[in-house]
Amino acid sequence: MLAFISRRMAAAAAMLLVIGTIIFSLLIIVPGDPAELLLSTGGGSASAEAIANLRANMGLDQPVLTQYVTFLYNTARLDFGTSIVDNGSISSVIALRLPRTLEIIVAGTIFALLLAIPAGTAAGLRAGGKFDIATSAINALLTSVPGFVLGTLFIYFFAQILGWLPAGGYVAFATNPAQHLQMLVLPSLTVGLHLATIVFRMTRASVLEMRGHDWVRTAVAKGLRRKRVVRRHILYNALGPIITVVGLQLGILLGSTVLVEFIYNWPGLSGLLVSAVEQRDYPTVRAVILTVSTIFIGINLVIDILSSLLDPRIRLQ
Amino acid sequence: MMSARNFPKRMLLPSVLLAALIIIPFSAPLITAEDPIKIAVRYRLAAPDLQHWLGRDEFGRDRLARVLHGGQVSLTVAFVATTIAFIIGTFFGLIGAYFRGPSEFITSRLSDIVLCFPPILLALLVVTLFGPGAGTLVAVLSVLYFPTFARITFSEALRVTSLDFVEASRALGTPSRRIVLGTILPNIAGPLSVQYSLTAAAAITIESGLSFLGLGVVPPAPSWGQMIRGARQFMNQDPLGIMIPCAALVLTIYAINFFCDRLRDTLDPKGASGSGMDEVSKPLALADAPAIRDPNVVAVINKLRLETTRFGTPAAVIEDVSLTLRANECTALVGESGSGKSLSSLALMGLLPGAIRQASGTLQLRRKTGEVVDLGFLDARTLENIRGNDIAMIFQEPMTSLNPIHKISDQMIEAIQAHRPMSKSDARAHAIQLLKRVGMNDAERRIDSYPDQMSGGMRQRVMIGMALTCEPRLLIADEPTTALDVTIQAEIIELLQTLRQDQGNGLSLLFITHNLGVVADIADRVAVMYSGQIVEEGPANQILRDPHHPYTRALIESMPSSHEGLHSTDGDRLPAISGTPPLPSARPSGCAFRDRCPIAMPTCAEIRPVLYPSADGERAVRCLRAPEAPAGLMKNHQTEAA
Repeated sequence: MLAFISRRMAAAAAMLLVIGTIIFSLLIIVPGDPAELLLSTGGGSASAEAIANLRANMGLDQPVLTQYVTFLYNTARLDFGTSIVDNGSISSVIALRLPRTLEIIVAGTIFALLLAIPAGTAAGLRAGGKFDIATSAINALLTSVPGFVLGTLFIYFFAQILGWLPAGGYVAFATNPAQHLQMLVLPSLTVGLHLATIVFRMTRASVLEMRGHDWVRTAVAKGLRRKRVVRRHILYNALGPIITVVGLQLGILLGSTVLVEFIYNWPGLSGLLVSAVEQRDYPTVRAVILTVSTIFIGINLVIDILSSLLDPRIRLQ
Repeated sequence: MMSARNFPKRMLLPSVLLAALIIIPFSAPLITAEDPIKIAVRYRLAAPDLQHWLGRDEFGRDRLARVLHGGQVSLTVAFVATTIAFIIGTFFGLIGAYFRGPSEFITSRLSDIVLCFPPILLALLVVTLFGPGAGTLVAVLSVLYFPTFARITFSEALRVTSLDFVEASRALGTPSRRIVLGTILPNIAGPLSVQYSLTAAAAITIESGLSFLGLGVVPPAPSWGQMIRGARQFMNQDPLGIMIPCAALVLTIYAINFFCDRLRDTLDPKGASGSGMDEVSKPLALADAPAIRDPNVVAVINKLRLETTRFGTPAAVIEDVSLTLRANECTALVGESGSGKSLSSLALMGLLPGAIRQASGTLQLRRKTGEVVDLGFLDARTLENIRGNDIAMIFQEPMTSLNPIHKISDQMIEAIQAHRPMSKSDARAHAIQLLKRVGMNDAERRIDSYPDQMSGGMRQRVMIGMALTCEPRLLIADEPTTALDVTIQAEIIELLQTLRQDQGNGLSLLFITHNLGVVADIADRVAVMYSGQIVEEGPANQILRDPHHPYTRALIESMPSSHEGLHSTDGDRLPAISGTPPLPSARPSGCAFRDRCPIAMPTCAEIRPVLYPSADGERAVRCLRAPEAPAGLMKNHQTEAA
């Protein structure tokens, strides 16, 4: 077990290194001078002095290898440098905004799992039945609605027409817990519904597959109660594939969070990212993407370990 | 290529819908002459009128023209990017699969890396460097999606290259290029086309998302994402402004997904029926079962008829099957696969697949309490109490019959606790006892293994041990040795024999097999099944020595027996039975076996034989030419016909 975990951790670390290297080399392989490129706005180019300043600031005047080593060293220390727009420390901005993004993702994921796993199980157990046909049709429709469209429509219905919930904004939990939670509802619902469509699909397919296995027949033949057969011999077996797919889909989930935060004016990582992209603040963009990728890899590492706990065959191989 | 004639019906609607949604935006000049970027501030947010069917947006631009032209932009970006990704990815995938080596590493690892970047974030990274615009979008989307195509092509092509005909053409010296393009590519077109549609839908989502953020298509060129962005501020006064582009976007993505789902179903049709846990259909007709008087009788199957609706109209898979199972007796149910022997036993367990229902007949069981119940009409809870307690079953495939992710101990303990209120540690001790009883060495340690750590023979012992949990009165063994090695087979048979003798309460064993050699070893009575009917039944020694039905005779003759010195006397030739059993929906008139019968007469096509009992009532046979058949039957019929 320990060997399995350390092997997976080594693989995750290697993946991080590769990603860091790719993000680093993007700036190197861009045709022309990166400093000039980043400072150019529209057709006009920046002053020679500003370009020279930026080059020195980002270390672009150093040899490539020195740049690379410095970049990796600083990244490992979680020092992402300073923004080229306001010279503020990127790490402290991320530390401030990351928890807000994670809050939406965690709330959305919980919502998605609570909704989609029972619904997917019920649909899979009675595939072809009325409930299955209805939920699968709704699911197919929801799958086709991009997160930002769903968010926009939610604002229109729940905030503008019905007036139940605020259209967006953010208040710290410490300042006003009730208002904070109220404002959390729509963003996490938007993120969660999107994830729920994927989880539903996967749960249904997985339950449908597990249901046909011989060991389920054995469990029924043993005289186990139906509920127990479903829980222990169908759902428990289906859980591994479900969480693995959820883990892989988290990339898309993290991406749709960018748009959802933007729609609801939620000051998480994505507000930072979008304005940084608009202002071509490459160090900030780079730092946000590294952070998100690290989270993604971290979550998948946890999921790998979880599924090996669920299925002995994974750790025995 | 798919011709119009064999175009699947289920693909028609999605194909038409998708084609319409792609063609309509590109026929914009035919629909409206308005300019999508001409600003007329005086008419901002004007309501729809005859000239401007969908009204005007916040700058007074014609909304219909903007939706159509915006669609052109979104679709072009998505399909151009997907096509580029498809071409590059397929190329890398094919090279990787055909030549293996380092190219294999690149194609399989590359997609792992790209998958770590949330797609929209990678797009934003590139936009930061190159600035927004349709060209940047196409480039980003192609880079994002080509590894997925490479991976799919790679794994699919790997599957195809190992197929015999590819190996064969490689051995014949066909040039690589021709094998790849002519043989492999057409064979992996299915999964690739599904991935193509999926990718196109994802590309549209990302394009519109970026445009919504203002980082995609550059204004004033219209795009759906931008229209939603623009209309957002005015959603109160003008809800139409967000509804129209949202509807266009959702409808397009839905059409692609719909197309993709149907395509996947058409390419890879998978039945939704499983063997494990279907809803069991209730029997059709109520029949009064005759009372079981003999206390030695454990179970009675009476005139059982099972029907399937799989072929449209109900067809009988089991017909007129009657069996009496007694205590201290082993009954062997023998027949080819598909003869209905397993279904008969599953009916006793209430485990029939959902597509099969009990049409008539009765299944009765004497419970351990002495109470006689009709298995077809019990509520689910009572049936759960009977399974594993009064009747237990051992299945054919020990490799798949145990849940691979639970320990043996957990699977045995839950079986014990299902019927006996017992603490976990007591149940565990009982489970270890059972494992010792079925001859497992070192049971204390092995009980904590997972099924995958055991051999097939060991797993079958576990299954048998589990079946003995509650000392059932009826034990059904459905081909328990078929999947095992010959030496292990003998051990398992021996084990079953010992268990029968040991068990105090008079175990009745229903042994299902296609192997007559085993029958001679273990069975007291034999019932031979053919095409859903019992064709011969009686004491095992009588039937094996002197079969009366031509099918039983053929089965015995085709047995490579080492028991009775028949071996090698006539050159090891197996007189196999020619032909195959008929499908339930296509049984011939008269006798079901007549097409394959060496002694069939014309009458056999006209009279449907029933089971004719022998004079002493010990055995019965379903054949017009058997000694038990009423003597006058054939002659009378012939005169009638004449």
